[in-house]
Amino acid sequence: MNAREDILLSVEDLRVSFRSEEGKTEVLHGLSYRLPKGKVLAVVGESGCGKTVHALSLLNLLPSGGEIAAGHVYYQGKDVLSLPPQELRRLRGAEIAMIFQDPMTSLNPIRTVGSQITETILAHTDCTKLQARARAMRLLKQVGIENPRKRMDEYPFQFSGGQRQRIMIAMALCLTPGLLIADEPTTALDVTIQAQILKLIKNLQQKNHMSAVFITHNLAIVADIADEVLVLYGGYCVEEARADELFAKPLHPYTQGLLHSLVSLKRKEEHLPAIEGYPPAPGTPKEGCPFAPRCPRAWDKCHDRLPPLFEKNGRRVRCWLQEKDDNSGRN
Amino acid sequence: MLRYILRRLLLLPLVVLGVTFLLFLLTQRLSPEMRASLYIKDPRQMGALEEVIQKYGLRDNVFKQYGRWLSGALTGDLGYSHSANMPVARAIKEYLPATVQLAVVTIVLVVFFGVWFGTVSAVKKDKWQDVCARLLSVGGFSLPIFVLGLLLLMVFYGKLGWFPPGGYSITTDVIIHSPSFHTYTGFLLIDSLLNGNIGVFWDVARHLVLPAVTLCIGSFALMVRVMRSSMLEELGKDYVRTARAKGLAESAVVYRHAGKNAVIPVITLAGIQFIRLLGGTVIVETIFDYPGIGRFGVTAAQQLDIAGIMGFSLMVAVLFVLGNLLSDILYTAVDPRIKLHE
Repeated sequence: MNAREDILLSVEDLRVSFRSEEGKTEVLHGLSYRLPKGKVLAVVGESGCGKTVHALSLLNLLPSGGEIAAGHVYYQGKDVLSLPPQELRRLRGAEIAMIFQDPMTSLNPIRTVGSQITETILAHTDCTKLQARARAMRLLKQVGIENPRKRMDEYPFQFSGGQRQRIMIAMALCLTPGLLIADEPTTALDVTIQAQILKLIKNLQQKNHMSAVFITHNLAIVADIADEVLVLYGGYCVEEARADELFAKPLHPYTQGLLHSLVSLKRKEEHLPAIEGYPPAPGTPKEGCPFAPRCPRAWDKCHDRLPPLFEKNGRRVRCWLQEKDDNSGRN
Repeated sequence: MLRYILRRLLLLPLVVLGVTFLLFLLTQRLSPEMRASLYIKDPRQMGALEEVIQKYGLRDNVFKQYGRWLSGALTGDLGYSHSANMPVARAIKEYLPATVQLAVVTIVLVVFFGVWFGTVSAVKKDKWQDVCARLLSVGGFSLPIFVLGLLLLMVFYGKLGWFPPGGYSITTDVIIHSPSFHTYTGFLLIDSLLNGNIGVFWDVARHLVLPAVTLCIGSFALMVRVMRSSMLEELGKDYVRTARAKGLAESAVVYRHAGKNAVIPVITLAGIQFIRLLGGTVIVETIFDYPGIGRFGVTAAQQLDIAGIMGFSLMVAVLFVLGNLLSDILYTAVDPRIKLHE
C-alpha cells in the first residue's frame, strides 16, 4: 500500500480470543493492515478463519465471551478500542457503519422498518422526527425499495431477503459514514439478488467516496469490488496484495488453491478442483504454518516454524517459499 | 381479527357445557335423598325429604335435571346458594369484583416487578444484581403461599398493625352500604374515587396489600425467571448487534429492541396467571378473610352447596375462555407477525 495515501483505518496487531470452559482460545493472531480513504479492502477466507470476528472487533461488537486481547484499531487517528462508551457510540453508525450477513435476523422483527432507520438518524443528529422520516424515505428509494412512504410502516417479515438487505444498506448509509464494514452481505441471498446488492453497494460506495472493508469467502465478489485483498487463514493473514496483482499472480499456496478452485467457463472438468483437507479448528495447538498440513508444497520447516509476513513489492505473504528470494521479512 | 374473536367466542358455550355437565354428573353420585337433605336445616323436618325430592325432581334422569339447571342458568337463575344465603347469581355479582380487584392489582405488580427484575437480572448476568434477583425468585418460588400469608399476617397485622385482614373496615362497610354511596362498577377502589371518598379508597387499598403481596411472591418468581431467560435469548440475537452497531445507547438497545421482543412470552404467562388468580385465590382469600369469589367457592364446596359449586365453576370456565382470548389479542398488539385470522 502506498504510505503517502491518506490512511483512514489502520489495524495494528489485532488479537482476539474467546473464553470457554477449557480456557482462552485465540482466534485472531495479530492482524495488521491499513486502509486508505476511498478504497475497498476485501478480507477473504474460509469459514472459521476469523473474518467475522475481525469485522466485529473493529467496532468492539464481539459477542459475550469474546475479547480483544491485544492490538489497536485506529480510525482517522482515533484509537477505537480505547474510546469511552459514549464516544464509541458516536462513531458507530455515524462514522463506521456495518452490514451483516443475515438480513433475516439482523432487523428487529417487531419494529417497523422505518422506525429502525429513523432511530439511527435521530441518535446521531439533531433533526426532527419528520425530517428523519423524510430522509429515511429518500434512502429507501435510493436503495431501490418502491413505494417507500407505505413500506416505511411495514415490518421486516413483509419484505424479501434481498429487500431486507437493501434496508440494512439504507440503514448503514443513512449518515454517509466514512467506512462501511460489510460482513458477507450477499452470502444469505440467492445469486441473482447477490449481484444486484453488490452493484448497489459498489455504486453507493463510489458515490459517497466511502472506504469499505468487505468480508467474503467469494472470490468472484472480490474481483468485482476490491482494491486490496487480505487473505485470512486460521486466524493469520497469509497474503495481502492489490486485487489485480493477487489475481494475476497469487503467491501463497493457499491463495493459489483458492483461485484454482474457482469455477471457470474455460476449463472443462468433471470435478471442481478443491484444496484437500480442512482448515484447523480454532485453538489447535500449532507450531509452524497453519496451512502446512494441507499445503502441497510444504516441507519440514513449514511444520516446525511459523513463517513471518514477508514483504515484497508492496505485497505481503506469510510463506517460507518467499524466503528463498527475500530475507527482509518482518513478523 | 373480529372474525377470530367471534370464532373463539363460539367455543365458549362448548367449554361451559363440558365443564358444567361433567360437574353435574359428579353430583349425581350422591343419592337424591342426600341431595335433598342438604335443603333441610332442621332434623325434625326429615319427613319432608320425599317432598323436596319431588319438588326439585331429584330422581329425574340426569339430562333432564341438567337441562333444568341449564335453562335456569341461561335466564340468569343459577339457583340458591345455601352457604352464602343468597341466590348464586347475586353472590357472584357481590364477590367477584373484590377478587377481580385483587387479581388486577396483583398481576400489575407481578408484571411490573417481574419484567423489571428479570431485565436487570439478564443485563447484569452473573453480577450481584442477578444473584439477588435469582435468590429472591427461588425463595419466593419455594415458599408456600399459606406459610408466607400467615407470616405476613403475623408481622404486619399482629405485630405492627399496619395492614389488617378482611376486605374493608367496619366504618367503610357502613359508608358503602349507605344510600349516598353509589355503586358504579362494583370495584371499591374505583367506586370510592368516583364517589370522591378518599378515606374508603385508602381503607380498601390497605386491606389489599397483604393478600396482593402474598399472591405476588409466587407468580413474581416465575415471571422473573421467564423474563430473564427470554431477555438473555433476545440479547444474543443479531438484531441487537445491529442496534449496537447503529450507535444506539445501551438503554435503547435493551428496552426498545430486546425488551419488546422478550416480553412476548411474559404475556402468555401473565394471561395464564391472571386467570388462575381470578379462579384460584382460594387459599389467600381464606387466610386473609378477603370477601372474594374464591372464599365463596371454598365455602360452597365445604358445605356441599351444589348450586354454589356449579355457579362458581361456570364462572371460572367463562373467565378462562375470555382470559385466553384476551392474551391472544394482547399478542397481536405486541407482535405484528401474529395475525388473528386463519
